[in-house]
Amino acid sequence: MTRSKTRKRIFLGVALLVAVLYPLYAGPYPQAIIRTVFVYMALALSWDILLRSGQLSFGLAGFFGLGSYASVLLSINVPVGSLVSILFAGIFTGLVAFLLGKVILRLRGMYFAIATLALGEIFRVIIRNWKGFAGGPEGKILPSVIFDGAPWPSYLLTLGLVLVVIGVSELIQHSRYHFGLTAIRNNEVVAMSRGIDVPNTLNHVFSISAALMGMAGAVFANLYGFVTPENTFSADYTLLPLAMALLGGIYGTWGPVVGALVLGVVAEYLKLFIPYGHLIVYGIIIILVILFMPRGFVGLFGDLLANRRRGKDAAKSKEAAA
Amino acid sequence: MKKGMLVAGGVIALVLLVLLFVWKPTVIIYGVQRAGLYAAIAIPMGLVLGIVHIVNLAHGEFMMVSSYLTYFLATSLGIDPLLALIPATIVLFILGILIFKLTISHTLKAPELNQLILTFGIAIVLVQAVNLIATSQPRKLSLEYVTASAKLGDLHFGTYDFIFVALAIVILLGLQWFLKKTKSGRAAVAVGQNPRGAQLVGINVNRTYMLVFGIATALVGVVGGFFLTKQSIFPAVGGSFTMKSFALVAMAGIGNLPTILFAALGLGIAEAFISSFQGYAGWSHIVFFALIIGVILVRSYVGSRR
Repeated sequence: MTRSKTRKRIFLGVALLVAVLYPLYAGPYPQAIIRTVFVYMALALSWDILLRSGQLSFGLAGFFGLGSYASVLLSINVPVGSLVSILFAGIFTGLVAFLLGKVILRLRGMYFAIATLALGEIFRVIIRNWKGFAGGPEGKILPSVIFDGAPWPSYLLTLGLVLVVIGVSELIQHSRYHFGLTAIRNNEVVAMSRGIDVPNTLNHVFSISAALMGMAGAVFANLYGFVTPENTFSADYTLLPLAMALLGGIYGTWGPVVGALVLGVVAEYLKLFIPYGHLIVYGIIIILVILFMPRGFVGLFGDLLANRRRGKDAAKSKEAAA
Repeated sequence: MKKGMLVAGGVIALVLLVLLFVWKPTVIIYGVQRAGLYAAIAIPMGLVLGIVHIVNLAHGEFMMVSSYLTYFLATSLGIDPLLALIPATIVLFILGILIFKLTISHTLKAPELNQLILTFGIAIVLVQAVNLIATSQPRKLSLEYVTASAKLGDLHFGTYDFIFVALAIVILLGLQWFLKKTKSGRAAVAVGQNPRGAQLVGINVNRTYMLVFGIATALVGVVGGFFLTKQSIFPAVGGSFTMKSFALVAMAGIGNLPTILFAALGLGIAEAFISSFQGYAGWSHIVFFALIIGVILVRSYVGSRR
């Protein structure tokens, strides 16, 4: 057991080193791709955190957009640093989600899913029509993008975002929440009767997931320096992370991470061949994964590894018998 | 007690409507017209939800596909869209059955989450396929007869949109007849109430699901043809109708088709009311989204008290 743990640590350390040093050996275009992939990765993973409780949210674009606007509007009106505004966006989105969660987390299944979809639309309509403060349909422009567009710090910012989300996800996986969430997903009534505080557990996780989505939005907005209702609340921010998480494998930290890397890079190259409608690939992947590979890449590899280990064990016991 | 409250509510609603009609007659006229369109699209979704128990997030997208089919048939053959919608409807029926057979039927026993994500994926594929083939440029047919208008006192208004009200009522009556009078319709009702019981008495449950899903997509196909005659179409046009339909079905209560008409009436008039104020038309969308969340929540509170 300890050997596999050390191996895992070494692997993670190497992966981190490769990620940090990536800008040294990659040109500006590959760097830009990975920056975007990281933002989507953060979204996919924070979506998965809530999914572990069995609650399907379509509100990704809504919280992403809310965070983007919170950060941009704060930086325009109050002279604080970009990093502070990103943190603020996370806290603000988390608080909004906490208050909304008190009400809409009474809903389950399809009702919850549609309500979160509607929430995103409400945010968009409010901002579209709020001309004075939020800029209305034209949106708002930041005086300058973060770090004045310097590539390495911008890249490290997105990497930092992903590391924060991975850290939160792993913390949840190794805390009491993990058992609570799994129990709620499997059977809510049983979970409640075993003493799990279902409403509060769900609301905490819902707020955390929304806060992370809001931070992802804020990072993205600071990288590009503008927000508009149509771009910032685009359905892409719901669709792409969903497809990524599903492809990689849901209910865990590493599935969405792997899925986002694979799908994000592949899709970027597909975009070159099919400029219009390349999103069809995401739809097809969602359908195929649900039908044939509901546990994604991670589930598939997990099965393969387990099979191999079982084969080894069988061989060992045969030797022992002989 | 409950009946008395219903009567009182009905009377209050009627009085409000009359007052509104005197104050802003166009709100009622346009509200009713909108309501017709909403109900016509929502009723097939109510059918699928009531019997197959699946939320089809690609519902509005089926309508969009049918609109495009009708558009291309009408423009390439030079026929009227109302004629072109007949082959489009048949194609939609087959498409619905194919999609059900190939994808949805495999997730019927899976968690609800899988079904939602699956139909979400289907919606994306439909939108993006149309985007690939027809680009995202909006398209519209200019037809003579849709500009028909009437005069009431010194009030001018378009009358063509009342066709959606008629369409909704025809769809509703047709479905009621199908569900109550025909053998497969009664089998569908039985399956909707208790799939296992239906299976035990010899009903082919899977075939019934497939038939109901096919009928629903065909009906949405008809609406799509009519939709094209009045509105401009683009690949993303169906999305909001999926949500509106779901909201109306949830408002009416799953399995309760006639009530969808009244729910649609409420939504249509509320939207038309907000739009009638100069400069506030943009807010009319929020009525609907707030309505969805409000209604679903009220239902959840009422449901938990029982």
